[in-house]
Amino acid sequence: MAITTQERPQRWDQPFGLFMTDQDVDRLLTIPEISAIEENKFPAHCSLKGILKNDARIVKYSAGDIVIREGDYGNSAFLVLDGSLKVVLFPGLPGEMLGRRTIRKKTLWQAFKQLWTQRKTPEVRDVKSQNQYSLVRATEALGTSHVFLQDVPAILDRNKTASLGKGALFGELAALGRTPRTSTIFAETDTELLEIRWQGLREFRKYDQGWRRLIDQRYRANALNAHLRATSIFSHLNDEDLQEVADATLFETYGKFDWHLTYNKLQTQEKNLGIKDEPIIAQQGDYSDGILLVRTGFARVSIDRGNGQQTLTYLGTGDFYGADEIFRAWQGDSNVGLRVTITALGYAEMLRVPSKIVEKHLFAYWSSGREGFRKRSLQSSVESRRMQDFIDRTLTDGALLEWAVEERFVNGTQAMLINMDRCVRCDDCVRACSAAHDGNPRFIRHGKTFENWMVANACMHCADPVCMIGCPTGAIHRSMSGGMVIINDDTCIGCETCANSCPYSNIRMVSIRDDVGNFITDPQNQKPILKATKCDLCADQISGPACVFACPHDAMRRVDFRETELDENTTGF
Amino acid sequence: MKIQQGFSLVRIWRYVGLASLLFLVTWQWTIQIDRSLGVSAFASGWVLFGVLAFLSLFSIRKRLPFMPLAPSAIWFMLHTIGGFLALFLFWLHTDALGSKGFYGQVLTVLFYITSISGVIGLFMEKVIPRQLTCSGVEIIYERIPAEIAGIREEVESLILKCTEEIGTSTLAEHYLETLSWYFQKPRFFLNNVFGGHLSQHWVRQQCMILERFLSEKEREYLDKVYMLAEKKRKIDFHYALQSLLKTWLLVHIPMAAAVTAMVIWHLILIMVFFV
Ligand code: HEM
Ligand code: SF4
Ligand code: SF4
Repeated sequence: MAITTQERPQRWDQPFGLFMTDQDVDRLLTIPEISAIEENKFPAHCSLKGILKNDARIVKYSAGDIVIREGDYGNSAFLVLDGSLKVVLFPGLPGEMLGRRTIRKKTLWQAFKQLWTQRKTPEVRDVKSQNQYSLVRATEALGTSHVFLQDVPAILDRNKTASLGKGALFGELAALGRTPRTSTIFAETDTELLEIRWQGLREFRKYDQGWRRLIDQRYRANALNAHLRATSIFSHLNDEDLQEVADATLFETYGKFDWHLTYNKLQTQEKNLGIKDEPIIAQQGDYSDGILLVRTGFARVSIDRGNGQQTLTYLGTGDFYGADEIFRAWQGDSNVGLRVTITALGYAEMLRVPSKIVEKHLFAYWSSGREGFRKRSLQSSVESRRMQDFIDRTLTDGALLEWAVEERFVNGTQAMLINMDRCVRCDDCVRACSAAHDGNPRFIRHGKTFENWMVANACMHCADPVCMIGCPTGAIHRSMSGGMVIINDDTCIGCETCANSCPYSNIRMVSIRDDVGNFITDPQNQKPILKATKCDLCADQISGPACVFACPHDAMRRVDFRETELDENTTGF
Repeated sequence: MKIQQGFSLVRIWRYVGLASLLFLVTWQWTIQIDRSLGVSAFASGWVLFGVLAFLSLFSIRKRLPFMPLAPSAIWFMLHTIGGFLALFLFWLHTDALGSKGFYGQVLTVLFYITSISGVIGLFMEKVIPRQLTCSGVEIIYERIPAEIAGIREEVESLILKCTEEIGTSTLAEHYLETLSWYFQKPRFFLNNVFGGHLSQHWVRQQCMILERFLSEKEREYLDKVYMLAEKKRKIDFHYALQSLLKTWLLVHIPMAAAVTAMVIWHLILIMVFFV
């Protein structure tokens, strides 16, 4: 018999924890939650021991340390090995405690004052205001730090909390679904946790029934109903029916959670090859077996065209597809295969509501009477017509969107799009940005171009902000109002995690200076202190994004590609 | 959401209409004053001063990007329309002849230089961007020297490699004698400004001259050098046209400042001596 060898997962070349020993693994195998796993269900190339050694790490937190913050993006889950933690239920902790930036719009006078209060040297910081540093403490493990809460008893007094003890699992929904963490959890006593990165978690769910049941149950209970409830086609259902739909809904993940790591490699590949590598969610011509909903991530919608595949549009969180095809099939039309192919663009988590359940709860309603019928014509046929519009577009009309999908610019909600046919390259936009941000522009007026369109290197405030994954202090976060991704300069420790993660290279590390213009250095090693900087959409300026405002030729816009149809004005002014 | 960039014709004509109206009213006003034997230049002068002040404020607006002072694009449109209005008002103010006296004549010349540079600049700003886009490359002006240096290094290392690998110096000699001139710095400035194809022609010519002296292997190197020369040609084109876009303002802005200063002095003199 020939011996078949299979390579171990490539990711194991870079284990999650640098210091996991075989003794650690053996110890983990004795704790109840792990020992219950049937080791023999795991394939040889991806053994349970291998996962524990390479995809997990043991981390320690001191009493008061924040483990996860509400609103953070994370790619790992935690199993409590020892100690106890608190989940802050209500009200959530204030932004400052979590290391967030408070946005205060300048007054008219403060805005005007910038004219003469601005320093000649860029990136000057008030050294005294860097005091938030005191909330960050370095840990034993090299290169990591934790943020701690100062007055835990007061928090316990003021906020409703729940306890987590030995054996509890948390953080798995956000890790698998790339959704923001829903609450803050901090260590009540000194704790020891097993942190499992999403790949390992996914294997646990795949090969072990117990873990699968646990994760799926929690997912259904916490997230599924809310998602379905927010989807327009199910908005008419009462709680009981919705529950029935939820119980029948299947969920599937496609693609790579950390697509951004391979993104740059993708850029060097031939275009259209990308699409061939993408996992197929539904294939053109096949019969649909249910409605597809995007829970997180993006899905590319394309059709066969000539020798290739033409991208029509994409689906993002909250979008759905397929109602029209199964509705027509249900009405007795023959030949209602899917009109398009749907593939995962990087990473997509999909929900599939099976036809049977759709027929019972949706089509029955649509055909039940006047109101239902009106609803159908409003929702399903709008969706259908929209898709047909995309299919009918000429190659030229659809080219820009296709390019934006290819380059993943569709991830942006505020991409900086410049019409180079209008732009006189005067850099007024750059100067305006600089004047509004410590004398240093937060973008580069250069970037990828398509025809006369350029997407400049400015933060796009992504729908899927991969830059936020892994920030140790929560300094980079999505603002509560407005949804932009911003960095708190005070709590940024300059670790460069975000700058390395942003697939579009839109975060720049800068050395900061004191009043006199000297670089501020770390007293311990004399190295200059770095801060991550990027576009914050002029959050604290009264005039809104200064770049767009300053362009004399109206050449620049901040756009969300899907909501954008470009229509050049013929007047030229 | 449809992106509508720029202003609709209706809107532009509305502002042009308003500017025309302001001119007609001023004109009527001066006619009335003339009829009653007053000094009509006071009326046209004040309006002209107001318009000039508004034109100069554009510069202030640009230095206050963080103030809510209406988008720069609106300022720009009003500035150009206002610029033409100023020209007509100037003719009205000086009876279309220009001024008497040395001071007045200097002011007139400066005003014309400002206005003419403005019109030329406006024309260029509407024409050049599209030509730049059509070149197929995009480069930031300040990075052009570095980019050209990079290309030169690439070419020279290719030629060095060719000499080492093949052992002949034909390509290297030709490079030293002629081609190196081209790769030194931006070339064919004027020709690029006028949209000529001279640089393309020159490079092709130089390569053709050399080609029959080269072996198959050396030709491969020449092809690569040619590709780099083409890349440089596009960058030269950007250099020429972007330089235009930058330098005209070096005339317009100082002249505008001089006009503004002289107009204020002119006004003070008038107030002191005539009123
Ligand atoms: C027909 C007459 C004029 C035309 C067509 C014109 C056109 C222009 C144009 C196209 C710009 C460049 C805007 C940009 O790209 O940002 C400009 C800038 C400017 N113009 Fe004029 N202009 C005219 C007359 C004047 C006059 C008479 C003055 C002053 C008394 C003036 C003062 C200025 C100033 C101060 C700027 C600002 C430049 C800066 O700071 O960047 N212009 N003009
Ligand atoms: S920094 Fe990068 S990944 Fe993060 S929101 Fe901005 S563009 Fe997106
Ligand atoms: S301000 Fe407008 S015209 Fe000037 S460089 Fe920026 S985008 Fe181009």
